[in-house]
Amino acid sequence: MIQPTLNENNRMIYLKIENGKGHFFKEPDQWIEIDQIGKEDLLTLLDKAISDDFEMAEFDTDLLQNKAHQIIYKHLYQKFNELNENKNRFKDESEQLYKSAIEKYTEAIQNDGNV
Amino acid sequence: MKKIDLHLHTKPSQYSDSAFVFSLPKLKEYVEKLAIDCIAVTNHNLFDLAQFNQISAELGITVLPGIEINLEKGHLLLISENAELEDFETKCNQVESLITSESEFITIQKLKEIFIDLSRYLLIPHYDKTPIIRPEIIEQLKPHITSGEVTSAKKFKYCLKDTNSLVPVLFSDLRFTEHMTVFSPRQTFIDIDDTSLRAIKTCLIDKHKVFLHHTEGHRFFQIFENGQKLSTGLNVILGERSSGKTYTLKTIAAMYDNVKHIKQFELLETDEEKDKKKFDELLTTKQSSVSEQFLKEFKEVVEDVATIDRKENEKRIESFLTSLLKVAVEEEKKDVYSKCTLFNESKFIETGNETLKQLVEATELLIENTQYRTIIDSHISKKVLQELIVDLMKKYEEVQEKNLKVRWLNSLVVNIQKELQSSTASEHIKDVDFYTILLENEKLKKFENITTQIKKEKVIEQTDVRRFKIVASTKRFTGAQELKNKSGIQQTAFSIAFPQYDSPTQFLDELKKMERIPETEYYKYFVDVSYRILNEFDAEISGGERSEFNLLDRIQNAHHFDLLLVDEPESSFDNLFLKNEVNEQIRQISKTVPVIVVTHNNTVGASIKPDYIVYTKKDIVSGKAVYKIYSGNPADPILKTIDGEEINNYNIMLDCLEAGDSAYVERKQSYDILKN
Repeated sequence: MIQPTLNENNRMIYLKIENGKGHFFKEPDQWIEIDQIGKEDLLTLLDKAISDDFEMAEFDTDLLQNKAHQIIYKHLYQKFNELNENKNRFKDESEQLYKSAIEKYTEAIQNDGNV
Repeated sequence: MKKIDLHLHTKPSQYSDSAFVFSLPKLKEYVEKLAIDCIAVTNHNLFDLAQFNQISAELGITVLPGIEINLEKGHLLLISENAELEDFETKCNQVESLITSESEFITIQKLKEIFIDLSRYLLIPHYDKTPIIRPEIIEQLKPHITSGEVTSAKKFKYCLKDTNSLVPVLFSDLRFTEHMTVFSPRQTFIDIDDTSLRAIKTCLIDKHKVFLHHTEGHRFFQIFENGQKLSTGLNVILGERSSGKTYTLKTIAAMYDNVKHIKQFELLETDEEKDKKKFDELLTTKQSSVSEQFLKEFKEVVEDVATIDRKENEKRIESFLTSLLKVAVEEEKKDVYSKCTLFNESKFIETGNETLKQLVEATELLIENTQYRTIIDSHISKKVLQELIVDLMKKYEEVQEKNLKVRWLNSLVVNIQKELQSSTASEHIKDVDFYTILLENEKLKKFENITTQIKKEKVIEQTDVRRFKIVASTKRFTGAQELKNKSGIQQTAFSIAFPQYDSPTQFLDELKKMERIPETEYYKYFVDVSYRILNEFDAEISGGERSEFNLLDRIQNAHHFDLLLVDEPESSFDNLFLKNEVNEQIRQISKTVPVIVVTHNNTVGASIKPDYIVYTKKDIVSGKAVYKIYSGNPADPILKTIDGEEINNYNIMLDCLEAGDSAYVERKQSYDILKN
């Protein structure tokens, strides 16, 4: 089975450049050319990106000669890099509304359980 | 019995009063004319010891030192024993220094810090009087507060009846200036022998010891400064023409703040058409809540569909189809850019989470509700509900997280697409949100349906007002002018919109083009609500009946007032209506609001069974008109003036109501002949 390449820190690489083309790793076991990436693939990649184990090969126009691949790879690389600095943003923001209520009721359930 | 007035002003405060120049002689005149036994000087947030000493020396009655304090957004009278005045002045000076604008106030904490032992003082909050001291503040000041200030005899009586109320007190709250002409007869009688602060405090914990009148308890209150009293129930003023009846009513109306005065001939029709229009407008305004209520849901629907841009939706679909066809034709010519999957990728659609939110709220209601706890508990345990709510909230967070992610990804996809598209001449498929467009089309269909239903003319509400019925019905608009009248906007023409009236969506489109109509009011132009008043035979009411309805309506509304004055209701109505409707209504309302009726009519004057009779009379003394007021109970053989002048009640009744004894006898004989 093909595994995503591991980098020197043993972290999984999901975007790579090979033979002048960009590729992305599609689970369970495929490296696919980046011009074939669709929105559902992006969603899967995003979930990987906000997990800890996510690396990308650096964007390099010398290695990546395909122009269309350059466009897609560049955008993905930039955006996922930005995200790296604030991986919890989606979770944090979505938990805002009911945070205290969940704590309150979870605590109540536990207390009831103890009785 | 002592008469006290513990709320009056002798010095303007810089922040709480309009400026006035205090007149000590006027205060002296007030105290003497109204025979007051004890006053308290209560200026806003200040106490002037020198002036207080001067007032005490001049008046010769008990004068207590006090201050009216801005406390927790209300006003509180704090009255001290007439001793240790320097100490009291120092404390009041602290209050003065803390309040440097009209809106500032001191807290309970501060009050206690300054005056230390509150049990040494008499504390009286503004109770049924603005600005009130809130109930929770009064609660915190107990047991030091037992009485509260009110503004009228009506409120005084109400507090006495209400077991939970404080002991009511009625004070003048006057500012004494040189040019004042009348004095307010608002004082309280209390059942004590001496006017020491201690005695007053003891009295003000017992509702049985405070009175509106020195001999008549609460059945009477003083209306004029000369001591003239009136019943707190129903009073009838009789008198010949030009004897000062209307003048008396006007004087009373001017002396009191919250008075409902139904003037003579006010209800009489002059111009039927004009009157009917005015009446219909008034009715529409008064009943507008019915229409608001009826159209509430429709309003929401209209506001929602008004945001739908049908033209734009059509354009989007068209451009999607055109681009799709073009892409299909160009399939063979695809280049490296247009071959990319993302080139034609549509956007993610976010998942709506409104339902989840409502479910969370509903579950929360089930958990928190105490009123129906037993029923809820008997079906489902709190623990299960708590588990449910946590699961729902977590699901909500999950949906929300996914939405945030797809929003983030959509912007990424759009950026990639833009760059890919700008690098190629190939056509790309235009993005279109079919889900939203379909949803909006469904909404428009529903809207058309609802509008068709709502436009069917029908009765939507019927309210009984004694023998009348107010009927609210829906009504279609019949022309552009009606729509314009509805809008109340002058430079607006509905001539383009109205032809579309029967096609709700197109009509709404036209309304949207009219800039002067606010979006929140589109719903008003689909159906009108009209009001009619019917009599007991379900017939439209006549002009006379309209006046009757007006009178009954006004009498009923008098509940909100402290005093109701009715000047010659008979001018507009027949005797049967007066006896059956007006008398009954007036009697009913006089149980809560003091009523004064001026009349010549025997149906009103005699059959209404008043609690008190007032007879006004004009005498010419040395060429000058002197107005006299005689009064007494209806059954008293004699009516008296304040000075003790007497007049025969029977003669008055016959003269005023029956045109004299002989006319009465004659009329009676005529009736007897008819009868036999």
